Amino acid sequence: MRRRHVVMLLGLLPLSGVAALWPFRRARARDGAREHVADTVEAIADVMFPGDGLPGARQLGLPAHVLAMPELAVPIARGVGWLDAEAARHGAADFLGLDATGRLAALDAAFASGDDGIQALVLALRFHVGMAYYTHPAVKSAFAYTGPPQPDGFADFAERPA
Amino acid sequence: MSEPAWDVVVVGAGAGGAAAAYGLSRRGLKVLLLDAGPRFDPSTDYPLTGADWDTQDFPEKPGSRGTYTFAAGQRLAGPEPLLASGSRGLGPLVGSGARLMDKYHHVRGIGGTTLHFTGEAHRLHPGAMKMRTRFGVAADWPIDYAELEPYYVQAEELLGVAGPTSQGARWRSRALPLPPHPLSYAARTLGKGAAALGLGWQENSRAALSRPWNGRPPCNYCGGCNKGCPRGDKGSADVTFVAAALATNRCTVRPDSAVIRIEAGTDDRVKAVLVGGTDGSIERIATAHLVLACGAVETPRLLLASDGLGNDSGEVGENFMDTLLVSVGALHPEPQHGRRGLPSDAICWDYNAPDAIPGVIGGCRIYNAAGEAELRGLAAFALGAVPGWGLAHAQAVRKLWGHALHAGAIGERLPNRDSRVDLDPATRDRFGMPVARIASSLGEADIARLRFMAKTLHDLVAASGAERIFESYSSWDWFSATHVFGTCRMGRDPQSAVVDADGRSHRWRNLWITDASVFPSSGGGEAPSLTIQALALRTAERIGKG
Repeated sequence: MRRRHVVMLLGLLPLSGVAALWPFRRARARDGAREHVADTVEAIADVMFPGDGLPGARQLGLPAHVLAMPELAVPIARGVGWLDAEAARHGAADFLGLDATGRLAALDAAFASGDDGIQALVLALRFHVGMAYYTHPAVKSAFAYTGPPQPDGFADFAERPA
Repeated sequence: MSEPAWDVVVVGAGAGGAAAAYGLSRRGLKVLLLDAGPRFDPSTDYPLTGADWDTQDFPEKPGSRGTYTFAAGQRLAGPEPLLASGSRGLGPLVGSGARLMDKYHHVRGIGGTTLHFTGEAHRLHPGAMKMRTRFGVAADWPIDYAELEPYYVQAEELLGVAGPTSQGARWRSRALPLPPHPLSYAARTLGKGAAALGLGWQENSRAALSRPWNGRPPCNYCGGCNKGCPRGDKGSADVTFVAAALATNRCTVRPDSAVIRIEAGTDDRVKAVLVGGTDGSIERIATAHLVLACGAVETPRLLLASDGLGNDSGEVGENFMDTLLVSVGALHPEPQHGRRGLPSDAICWDYNAPDAIPGVIGGCRIYNAAGEAELRGLAAFALGAVPGWGLAHAQAVRKLWGHALHAGAIGERLPNRDSRVDLDPATRDRFGMPVARIASSLGEADIARLRFMAKTLHDLVAASGAERIFESYSSWDWFSATHVFGTCRMGRDPQSAVVDADGRSHRWRNLWITDASVFPSSGGGEAPSLTIQALALRTAERIGKG
């Protein structure tokens, strides 16, 4: 009995070794998925706020702010899946496989989809990335009258804006 | 038992409490002014010099927000295309079919809600004080405008109110102490629209200094009033009435001191208050007279939580009236940059009289809210005013920034039996006391008034040259109230009023109230702080005089 147990254990060693590798494979797959989601969110941010002569949202590192929001993790993963499926309908491997025009069209389609979850996600990304974008000093400085109220106030308040 | 250490304990250091404390201490009475919230330091708490100013609201500090809950929001009978809140960029605000019970804007602390108020200094329209007699709604004020007028003068002098020499029906015995502020560029743009419609348009009377006054500097037109005034030119209660009370050397101010219960005597006098500290301790403070000035939400809560003290009429917490507001934002072909200058620096009083709106009882006033979108900064404008995303959005934001023109209207809110403040049966504060629960339901007259206000605003911005409305918000579907009134109404009849014409409880002869809870009617959209202060100064003259 004892010997049989030993043989069994020896026999299981290779299997257990393989089994022990599974978590690593799953983690690598998860990392890959996470990376894909992150890359897609960065691409979405750049589609939404490309800059028009100013640094775009991705260049300013703003998508990281959204990706760090735990309440958005699940909706974002679902939304990326939706966009990838939409891209596939147009012959691309995924959203990242679309050109700039295709990405904009996919985002417009997501908003117009009638799917409450996808619409809400698009609005959430627009809101959070947009807030970060238009409050960023590099962006605000390109617009007039965006500095702090004090200490100078606005001596020209009664005049036509410069 | 030892004699009370104080002639008067005043609870709440906002507009009414600070004015009462000043009025009492200048008479030589020894006053303790308590507030549940902290003391703010303008130079460090709201300097308004940070690049992140647009994401910062008036700061919160420990204890600076009271706890309250809402009853379910009123079901919306729609559609009301003029009244539905939302923006082109962000979409509808409300999608549930019920009024969104969002926020009761207030500050606890030395200065109270005046710390973040806009700083309008309005006298009530004389005709709005007799709503029951004239129209059969709300209740009559037991005093008239003439009775209040001398106290308006006193308050205006202390605040350093700047404004025009005449405001129609609001006759005055003395001119405002300071000349009006020049109108901002955006206010003048709206003024052209008002002129085209045949509407009056004049400088608003403002508790913001147009000249140096009592050691305070003049306004530098930063537009940041609602985020707190670091210069001290805005007439918040901390730099005006509290400072004046302290200067008498007979007033002691104690922040972070929440009154959790009032102790009644066996006769007709209250004896003491129980005060909770930030460390959870509870202290009993005896007083000869007690003044409540916690606002129309907290004052009734405190009375109800003190075994229904002063509620012999059953009217404590009833007759709640909240802010009836519409604001409209539109894009003008020419840049305005309405962020510059005093918010609400211009006003139209044409519809302010209670019979001025055709077919609707109760008035309203219209004002320049031209800075609204821009006061919230570039991001709020970019996301709210310009729909979509991508290069076209970026280009439109570049093109349109600064072009926003906003107009607002605030109107009379009539009381009804579905609007009240009571004790929440389930939620308690850190001292184990029930918190206030706010119920608000608009009547048909209120909604009709809102429609008129919205239509007038649409006409005004269009006549001013604006081409496209990009956002509109209203109290129809959105409870977001700063001005609240009526929950301890004043009146001659003890059966229907909580306090008498002097602000004294009909039941408890040393219990007084000096906040907007005593208002029998809300007025036609006037900002209430000046009237609260005038009433408080008047009440302070009567306390302890038999």
